Amino acid sequence: MNVDVQKKVKIIQKSMDSIRKMDKTVHTISFIQLAHEMEMPLNELTDFFLDVEDIFLNEQKRVTRKIEAHLEKGIKNCKTPNDAKDLMESSVLKMVDLLPDYSDLVYSAIFYLPKCLAERDRTKKYYRQKIRIIIKKGWPGKIDSVLDRQANLVLLSLYGFLDYCVKANKRERKEVLKDFNNMINLHLQDRLFF
Amino acid sequence: MKNTSSILTEKVVNSAINSLRKKKRIELLSFAAIAKELDVGIDELSTFYTTTEDIFLKAQKKDWESLHRYWDKQIKKAKTPGDYMRAFEIFFERFVETLSKDSDLRFELSCYLPACVKFRDKNRIKVKEKFTKLIKRGWPGKDEKVIQRQSELVTVLFYGFIDHVVHIPKNERLKILSDFRNMLNLHLQDRKFF
Repeated sequence: MNVDVQKKVKIIQKSMDSIRKMDKTVHTISFIQLAHEMEMPLNELTDFFLDVEDIFLNEQKRVTRKIEAHLEKGIKNCKTPNDAKDLMESSVLKMVDLLPDYSDLVYSAIFYLPKCLAERDRTKKYYRQKIRIIIKKGWPGKIDSVLDRQANLVLLSLYGFLDYCVKANKRERKEVLKDFNNMINLHLQDRLFF
Repeated sequence: MKNTSSILTEKVVNSAINSLRKKKRIELLSFAAIAKELDVGIDELSTFYTTTEDIFLKAQKKDWESLHRYWDKQIKKAKTPGDYMRAFEIFFERFVETLSKDSDLRFELSCYLPACVKFRDKNRIKVKEKFTKLIKRGWPGKDEKVIQRQSELVTVLFYGFIDHVVHIPKNERLKILSDFRNMLNLHLQDRKFF
């Protein structure tokens, strides 16, 4: 990681801590207030970010970029159905592991900040596309309409799981993760579903 | 028949939602603008709501209270495992049928505004408790631990389902509901899961 990126990540972390301490709704926080709370000169903040929304957007993208890289590499290296099944599980695990301590704060703000909402929509479409590819490779022989329906169900399940994880502690996340993976596997093996 | 106050509060919610859809920023909503649009006094609005956040919180509460009332009636009527299974399924049907045309925005606000998030968390516990009861009686013979794990997972998936269904057109909602219910049924019948 280069120095600028390191600094950027540190600022994001510090911002999240300060925003939590301020106990205010994101739209009521100004950049000046935030710099004051962080005890940091305003220009140091503005060197990296345009506004509060930009901090959240950067944090959101930082996490999704890593998951996207994992998925792209995984799909490229998928040779057998088992590789694809492993990729499905490792991707969900990666998503959970990447969640920072302040993920509840970011998750909640995403629903309000327009750029973050747009990024959420983009990511959702991207995940759906990749989930469909993984199902096709991991559970071969399904027709297109089934792939579409199952990709939607896995996607919505994943977002429900993320919604749970952002507020759960690490132990609770791991417990549900096991059941979650079993359920997805069961669902994708099911023939009665069609 | 609706009384004058409920007609007014409905108008206030619609006006706030429309305004938010246009302006995209909650801080740009004001009591004064809503009062002007509805041709009522600010004082009159203040008898129903304390803040703009309160408008969305009360609307959220009203929707869920009505849904719980309906659901409780079905649960109360149930006598056999089949009845409890039906009460479980009816809940999802009713949820989808009663979604408002602005359910996407209402959902996003429920994940962002602190008072709405608090209510959402509290309501989630209530929903999970009802799932626990219905799973216990609709799919009898499971031990307490399994019931807890399965109701947690069903709740996780249901919240993902909400996020998905509010963001798709009305005519697609029933299709995904049918797949979603099949997925849950399969999961609740599964013995390998344990």
